[in-house]
Amino acid sequence: MFFVVCRSLVKISKQARREGKELFRCCLVNGLLDENRARQAVRLVLEGKPRGYLAVLSHFQRLVKLDLHRRTARIEGAVPLPQELQARLQAGLTRLYGPGLHVSFGQNAALIGGLRIQVGSDVYDGSVQARLAALEQSF
Amino acid sequence: MSNLLQEIEAQIAGVKTATNRQNVGTVREIGDGVAKIEGLTDVMLNEMIDFGKGVTGLALNLEETEVGAIILGDYTKIEEGDEVRTTGKLLQVPAGKGLLGRVVDSLGQPVDGKGPIKADTAYPVEKIAPGIIRRRSVSQPVQTGIMAVDAMIPIGRGQRELIIGDRSTGKTTICVDTIISQARLNKAAEAAKDKDYRPLYCIYVAIGQKQSNVARVISVLEEHGAMPYTIVVVASASDSATNQYLAPFAGCAMGEWFMDNGMDALIIYDDLSKHAVAYRQVSLVLKRPSGREAYPGDVFYLHSRLLERAARLNEKYGNGSLTALPIIETQLGDVSAYIPTNVISITDGQIYLETDLFYQGIRPAISVGLSVSRVGSAAQIKAMKQVAGRVKLDLAQFRELAAFAQFGSDLDAATQAKIERGKRVVEVFKQPQYNPVAVEVQAAVLWAVQNNFMDDVPVGRLKDFQGKLTDYLTSRKAELMARIAKEKALNDALTADLKAAVTEFKQTYK
Repeated sequence: MFFVVCRSLVKISKQARREGKELFRCCLVNGLLDENRARQAVRLVLEGKPRGYLAVLSHFQRLVKLDLHRRTARIEGAVPLPQELQARLQAGLTRLYGPGLHVSFGQNAALIGGLRIQVGSDVYDGSVQARLAALEQSF
Repeated sequence: MSNLLQEIEAQIAGVKTATNRQNVGTVREIGDGVAKIEGLTDVMLNEMIDFGKGVTGLALNLEETEVGAIILGDYTKIEEGDEVRTTGKLLQVPAGKGLLGRVVDSLGQPVDGKGPIKADTAYPVEKIAPGIIRRRSVSQPVQTGIMAVDAMIPIGRGQRELIIGDRSTGKTTICVDTIISQARLNKAAEAAKDKDYRPLYCIYVAIGQKQSNVARVISVLEEHGAMPYTIVVVASASDSATNQYLAPFAGCAMGEWFMDNGMDALIIYDDLSKHAVAYRQVSLVLKRPSGREAYPGDVFYLHSRLLERAARLNEKYGNGSLTALPIIETQLGDVSAYIPTNVISITDGQIYLETDLFYQGIRPAISVGLSVSRVGSAAQIKAMKQVAGRVKLDLAQFRELAAFAQFGSDLDAATQAKIERGKRVVEVFKQPQYNPVAVEVQAAVLWAVQNNFMDDVPVGRLKDFQGKLTDYLTSRKAELMARIAKEKALNDALTADLKAAVTEFKQTYK
């Protein structure tokens, strides 16, 4: 969490969007967001307070949030997953989506069995709950 | 029972497939029938998306950080944070003969309470229009049953003819008369087992209309037995802007089914002005940039891609056709406004209805000077060409001379004759609503006018003369009318018989 901006009160103009996007691009290293650069960028903008800085930072925050969401993987199972399986899953996802993926593991008893993996907008749902729902749909 | 077990087993086996990748998003904002969704990275333009709870939507705005989608269905069920999935499908509506006689909404679901619809197939709502090679030039007439239209502004199968005018000038009436006329012709051909006749099925799309108006149109069509050949697609004023935006495309998809299957169809869009307003609303809520009169920049493309789908296909592709009669409502007769000029430039002609003519009692209030059909006499049978060829010119001369005569100066005999003839032609073209006239009767009446049989009938009694002549021809000379209808041209023999018939009638007319 870098900063908190009350987005609902800040009107983000096209200019602010362009500048926020430019700021975000400057924080990328080899196509991935560098956290240190992002922190430094925010600190410098807050110190300098250029015209419209709140709107720019607001849009920058949104882009960072979306980027983090894209590179976040959430793996859920009905029961806790063994370490070996977790490592295999992480390696597989990194191979598929590239480096820089933040993987988190969780437990969801409602799945009944199987795994549900969500990476950004992609969902691989092999849980028993999903299959039952598909079966219900097919009837 | 063993069949049921096998079916269940097959369905369970069918579900045991490899886990597929799905693309999901989250609703960030919802309001006014439009949802802003984060995620959905793989969604494509116009793809259907599933909001769950039985609600679907269409992805219309693909932006860098979010997707703007319009919601088809009850958007009050959707909340911020709801998960949305792509479906990989385009929006489709049911199509086929099972829709004839039914009233449906813009998704093809029945609203007339007559049970589910048995559709032959589903057709995509958005489709690319037929290319140039697939088309053929328009040569078959659409007999509207309205003398003024069939004589001077003939419409052909596959043409787009705009009907434009102020409110309450008779635009919808022209379209309803056309549907009734087609239904009569279809029924007569079925009764006579005429295999050469190609029936014309009609689709009436009501966009943004009052439900009372739509109900009245449906009851008129039912009363005149036209509903079995008609599909009514309704997106009334109380429907969402999304439904009003989609309704013409849904109707066009249903019409394309007939065209692609070698049949002829006629579609009426009533009206495209309200369609443009609904699209404006959807675009503004989607935060698309607005242009002239706050319409989005692609409002021309909205109507051009819709109307280009009306065409006549060549024999290699089934010889089917889709004729479009779009309606545009003008304000104070201004045909140079934004949407009217757009649609005029797209269509193959226009029928312009004037309020002044309407209140003078000239109904249909067609302005002959401003109305045109770019297909012209190619869409007329030879008999009509023979009798109606000069009528437009005669009326134009009459209008000029009538203005000149108002100054009260003495006129020579030829000028006076032209004026008297013009008055009679105007009178003959007046026609009550929901009373289409068969083409052979039109040809006979116009022949009588052109050959001086009505010159000595006072103008005030002309409608009575015409009515009685029509009754006489259809009842006492039905065989002559049938010959004209069959031969479609006035040869010497038919002309002689017609002359004898009209002379005989005149002798008995008082």
